Amino acid sequence: MPLFTRPTSLALPVLLTIILSGCSVMRSYDNELKQTVDLVGQGQIDQALTQHEANNTGGDFDLLYYLEKGELLRLKSQYKDSAGAWLLADQKVNEWENEAKVRAGAILENVGAVLLNDKTRRYDGHDYEKVMLSTRLALDHLSAGDWNAARTEIKKTHEREAIIAEINAKDTEALEKESKEKGITTTFKDLNGYPVETLNSAEVTTLKNGYQSAFSHYLAGFVYEALNEQGLASPGYRQAIELQPNIKILEDGLATLESRPSLRKPNETDVLFVVESGAAPALSSVTIPVPVIVSNLGVIPISFPVLHSDPSHTLQPSTVGIDGKDTLPLAGVTSLDTMSKRALRDDMPGIIVRGILRASAKAMSQKVLMDQGGGAAIAGIALNIANVITESADERTWRTLPATISIARMTMPSGKHDVTIGSSKQAIDIQGSHAIVVTRLLGNQVYWSQPVFGPQMPVYTVPSAIEPAENIDGSAIKKSPAKSKKKKAKKPVQQAQG
Amino acid sequence: MYKSNNALKATAIALLLSGCATQSPTLSSGNVEYGDSKAVETLTNEFGSTDLQTIAESMANSLLQSPALFEKKRPLVTVAEVKNKTSEYIDTKSITDSIRTKIVKSGMVRFAVDTSAIQTQVDELTRQNQTGLYKKSKSKKMGNMEGADFRIEGTITSIVKRAGDVKDVYYKFSLQLVDNESGTMEWADEKEIRKTSNKSMF
Repeated sequence: MPLFTRPTSLALPVLLTIILSGCSVMRSYDNELKQTVDLVGQGQIDQALTQHEANNTGGDFDLLYYLEKGELLRLKSQYKDSAGAWLLADQKVNEWENEAKVRAGAILENVGAVLLNDKTRRYDGHDYEKVMLSTRLALDHLSAGDWNAARTEIKKTHEREAIIAEINAKDTEALEKESKEKGITTTFKDLNGYPVETLNSAEVTTLKNGYQSAFSHYLAGFVYEALNEQGLASPGYRQAIELQPNIKILEDGLATLESRPSLRKPNETDVLFVVESGAAPALSSVTIPVPVIVSNLGVIPISFPVLHSDPSHTLQPSTVGIDGKDTLPLAGVTSLDTMSKRALRDDMPGIIVRGILRASAKAMSQKVLMDQGGGAAIAGIALNIANVITESADERTWRTLPATISIARMTMPSGKHDVTIGSSKQAIDIQGSHAIVVTRLLGNQVYWSQPVFGPQMPVYTVPSAIEPAENIDGSAIKKSPAKSKKKKAKKPVQQAQG
Repeated sequence: MYKSNNALKATAIALLLSGCATQSPTLSSGNVEYGDSKAVETLTNEFGSTDLQTIAESMANSLLQSPALFEKKRPLVTVAEVKNKTSEYIDTKSITDSIRTKIVKSGMVRFAVDTSAIQTQVDELTRQNQTGLYKKSKSKKMGNMEGADFRIEGTITSIVKRAGDVKDVYYKFSLQLVDNESGTMEWADEKEIRKTSNKSMF
């Protein structure tokens, strides 16, 4: 690695990079979003949006700007505007996908992050955020009544998951090779003072990975089923079960898939209630002294990200009430909190290696300057100060995402119903064969969505006003009295056959 | 003389038109190119275009050999569901669409609308008969749809195994032709596909 062979050559780039990337180095995303999430929790969505715009000036907006903006607009029920913001975010994820396919395995190739900190890297989003972006875009389209556009996003989710799996495999392999070459064996469990338990709980370690969610796949199953594509609905429900086993609603999704269409009456709607609670965890920076074996530099302070669960402390409801009589149990199927912990756990090897390489590079260049004495020594002192100021972990993460997603499902008569979650009640008009009602709880606020009419599945019934073919064509009857006599003897047709 | 003049003009126009066709400008960034849609695809071992084409080809050829389809002149067939029992998002309708297209091209069989298209069929008949927009004598009548003689149905299953860096996927696509009136299975066939990948192939 050239970083260790010519340390003096690093001093100037380090100082220049600090100056040039000053804003991103010093910005505290945690502080900015804490205020935004607090405003949403108090029902002040407009102020939250204003604050979000004030925090992001300059015009060249990054992925995170569009992710947060889309979520705020969604909470305001501006589904088309929200989808617009998220589609711009989606373009950035597409750019990442195209680049990542080419550069996969080059996980350490980012000079800014090696010299300064991970904040200087372009924000490409955590893997679960990229997947959740497609899922939430699908929800936007569903809320706007466009089920086919939702289907497109859901299909994109599967393709995105496959790309992430492929890139992660290459990156992991490259990282293992790099760590072996540099002799870096430190894991997050070795970081004395790091809250290891946040990344080491059973719920985190038993997750299949940090980016696939049972909710995304169950939603895929539901949308495909609503669009009468059972062949695609079944793998959706099946994958949801594989990701979160032993949850009844997920198991029922697959078990009764074939019988559901025949059991539902034409004037009934299959309703999926989606209840999102809280806010995704916050990331903050903690600095821990780490022994650096590379070049025998001793113990160097390195910053690492730490997750803090749902800063909004929102209560998670356990039931949905329907018309004051039915009570549906809500099943927690996806925890973005757990997923983000798993994602951080999986990212930690890369963060540690980059941190050690960064710390080593800084220490080496500082040592060389100090050894030279005179003006160089002053530059060395300046570099040391800059190093202390800039050493901070990347706090960026999609904060307005919910902490948990729970679902309930019920086939009910189409029409208006009073739906109750916690102490909040809302009249919801449900039409079509399928509908999705999404509710978000944050702080002391409940944000309801009013579903636009869902798709209409075939009912196989001819409208009763229509007479059978033989009686409609009067002219044919007059021309052929013999035939008309024969036709009159027939019984009216009531149902069309497939 | 008059005829030969016309022939000359026609030849000149044809030459001009063909000239234009061959000189169409191409807009390209240099990063995109067309490929052979029939090329064997082995990018990953998930279900892909080659699998779809292989299954459709194999099943259509086999089905067209079925004696049941020769007993009646151009029997009416409908496509029921092909159940996807894998964990992969395989669009089984796309497979049956390809099979149906190949069979329709043979001219031996007619197809009735399947369950996924029945609503569109009902909507069309309703529009023609109920909106008052169409002449009664010219509109297609309710109650004249034909019931299919046979239905095609099937399943796709998979077995996925991983050992170290090796991933092995086995697909089995089964299809059957059932007589709708008697309920007897008149034809059945299956196509197996095995795909193995190694992590080092990435």
